[in-house]
Amino acid sequence: MWKMATSKNSHALSLNILAKCSTSKARACAMTLPHAVVDTPVFMPVGTQGTLKGLVPDQLREMGCKIMLGNTYHLGNRPGPELLEKAGGLHNFMKWDRALLTDSGGFQMVSLLKLAEITEEGVKFQSPHDGSEMLLTPERSIEIQNSIGADIIMQLDDVVHSSVSGPRLEEAMHRTIRWLDRCIKAHRRPSEQCLFPIVQGGLNAELRKQCAHELVKRDVGGYAIGGLSGGEEKSEFWRMVKLSTDLLPDCKPRYLMGVGFAVDLVVCVALGCDMFDCVFPTRTARFGCALVKTGQLNLKSKIFAKDFRPIDSECQCSTCKTYNRAYLHTLANSEPAACNIITVHNVAYQLNLMSSMRQSIFEDKFPEFVQQFFTDMFPDGDYPDWTLQALASVNIHLR
Amino acid sequence: MLATSFFGSIKMKFIIEKTLATGGRLGIISQANRQGNVTLETPMCTLFTKGGSAPHLSIDMLRRVAHVPEVAVMSLGALADHHETVAEFGKGLREFTAMSNPVIFTTLHDASAAISPGKNDNSGVAVWGKGGKIKLDTSLFMKIQESFCPDWFQAMSDGDTDVSCGNKRLVKSVDRTLDFLDEIVEAKNKSEVLSKSSLIGVIEGGFSETQRKRSAAETVARPVDGFLIEGFEKGNRDVDLFSLPDFTKILSFTLEHLPTDKPRIMETVWSPLQVIKAFKLGVDVFSSAYPHILTEKGLALVSDYSLPPLSQPAKLELQTANAKNEETNGLYIDLHNSRYSEDFGSILPGCSCYACTNFTRAYIHHLLKTKELLAFVLLTIHNFHQYFEFFQHLRLSLKSDRLNELEDYLSQQLNSGLDR
Ligand SMILES: [Zn+2]
Ligand SMILES: [Zn+2]
Repeated sequence: MWKMATSKNSHALSLNILAKCSTSKARACAMTLPHAVVDTPVFMPVGTQGTLKGLVPDQLREMGCKIMLGNTYHLGNRPGPELLEKAGGLHNFMKWDRALLTDSGGFQMVSLLKLAEITEEGVKFQSPHDGSEMLLTPERSIEIQNSIGADIIMQLDDVVHSSVSGPRLEEAMHRTIRWLDRCIKAHRRPSEQCLFPIVQGGLNAELRKQCAHELVKRDVGGYAIGGLSGGEEKSEFWRMVKLSTDLLPDCKPRYLMGVGFAVDLVVCVALGCDMFDCVFPTRTARFGCALVKTGQLNLKSKIFAKDFRPIDSECQCSTCKTYNRAYLHTLANSEPAACNIITVHNVAYQLNLMSSMRQSIFEDKFPEFVQQFFTDMFPDGDYPDWTLQALASVNIHLR
Repeated sequence: MLATSFFGSIKMKFIIEKTLATGGRLGIISQANRQGNVTLETPMCTLFTKGGSAPHLSIDMLRRVAHVPEVAVMSLGALADHHETVAEFGKGLREFTAMSNPVIFTTLHDASAAISPGKNDNSGVAVWGKGGKIKLDTSLFMKIQESFCPDWFQAMSDGDTDVSCGNKRLVKSVDRTLDFLDEIVEAKNKSEVLSKSSLIGVIEGGFSETQRKRSAAETVARPVDGFLIEGFEKGNRDVDLFSLPDFTKILSFTLEHLPTDKPRIMETVWSPLQVIKAFKLGVDVFSSAYPHILTEKGLALVSDYSLPPLSQPAKLELQTANAKNEETNGLYIDLHNSRYSEDFGSILPGCSCYACTNFTRAYIHHLLKTKELLAFVLLTIHNFHQYFEFFQHLRLSLKSDRLNELEDYLSQQLNSGLDR
């Protein structure tokens, strides 16, 4: 069924597969969007409210970032879609001339607002501002995302927690497909914004299969894999990711939503995912945590008080070229500038990780990269079981 | 007391190019740093820092600001706790903080903050960091300076006095500060590391002419390279000192008792107009805590400091017209105000700063409303840019004998603002 892939010109996205790992399912692509050609695998930093933790777009450009995220729930509240239209879209408003992706707002509504209620019509919730009852329908979500103007937009999906199973999960999967059709119909700017459907189905393999089968019947430019960043068992997580990538067509990008820990990124690239996002790298910077190949450094910890090395001596970011850990230790405890400074490094770390994977795919040395990554991250060889199993499923066997 | 250091050293020099009848000076500080290769033009401001970093700005972002002052002021409150680390680091505070300003000036207190009074005694003074009070005596103070290796350092002083202090308190403040200075001079003379650093003596005395005179005379008699005048308020209390009845008189009196061949520094939070007033009395070096304080409140400087060429008509009318559309005091606007929510103009039309050339009032308004860090990054860049630029214009106006014109122009802008 999915072989009825559409002509590339009908979507605001085209994917060019440039190299494939001969062992695993990893691949390196060029994803062409209205505002950028994005190299995949890609990590997309999250700029929730039209800004990324005190960084200016120039800093992201200088680091080679080509695409970032905005959150529809937040942007829909403030500054609001009307203002964003007047500003000429979020790109203009925040002075970011490269690609943007927005989520549907549904996930945030369900996770941030306790009183959200989901009906066939949409997500009903109380306005956090005046307590009035509001309704986010698939049509409204797309309307707002059309105003924001991101290169990639997401369908509204029926999000259930990963611990939910049974009839509610099944209902959510079917509703997600019905809502997809409503989103496709409501989408006013298909030639400028590419709409992604979302594979749902929780941890139920049968439901995920059904969902994926339905989605690939629709004419869309790429696919997201949702519902897998909610703290489920990792042994189930990777199986659901693999099952989804197995069913999705090769010729379109696969976006694994809300996943961005380094280990998860490496495993899921091996499983065939192309795009990732996560607030963790930028959120953790705020608490003084810097990401490195051995894990993370909590710069607030006294052990760094007299450590005069940069966060990572091999990192080329402006933070590592400028500051030593001991000084960042003094700043992390007191000054807001520390958050910007550490965020720069953490974003650079994520981008470097992705570009190293990409490079290794081009050289067809991805399995070697994975081995080195795991050796650095787990020097004692105590690799988590799930990573061993997940990687073995795509023929990478860690030593 | 030795008159000169045992170690030969390059001495900071202050050369006056022009003196106003009121006492203000256009001058040059030469050999301003430890290497003796930096020359500064006065009147000038220093770079205000927090914890040794420009507030809200990484070095990478600070590079996007034009005319960053050569002198970075680093107060001991946030840094004193880390002196052992800096000592072990071994290359001083500038390299430790990675700042590129050629002159590092260590002071006691954060100029933007109030000082909790009553914590000083004969044995030492208290400074305030994130971890709370740090009590310094002169030996710890000098140990810290040796590890920080500043180009200028403020002598330890007991300056938490203000207009309400009686004579007894003021006498004590002057005495203690002089006692500290003697101990510091003695220790400095024995210190090879600090032989190249300039010692800034501190003038106290509150609002008492007698004590100011005594403090000045006694400090002048000691080997200091410049003067810091404090003791008018207990840190930043958001008070316009010029509105206090005797302030102008006492400051002027104090400055008259200082020699003309050394720079005078004040760390007070001052708007451009207040800077002009203090400059006219003879203050040379100012803090840039003022733009930082505006930034923290979401305010952006919008006044115009550039005098038109003499051949052109004054541009005041235009400025007045602008001001009428804005709820402003004529000097700054409050970007929290919802009137800016759909304003896609730059913070200040014509401003060449990084924030104004890239972002709109509407965007910064949104960032303030959503409490995003970038609001403060952009406001810091704009407000610093404007304040630094003001000092350029101040010097230009002096060189062309148009200081009064600049002062009038600024006060007209202030008066043209609607509500405060
Ligand atoms: Zn780095
Ligand atoms: Zn500006």
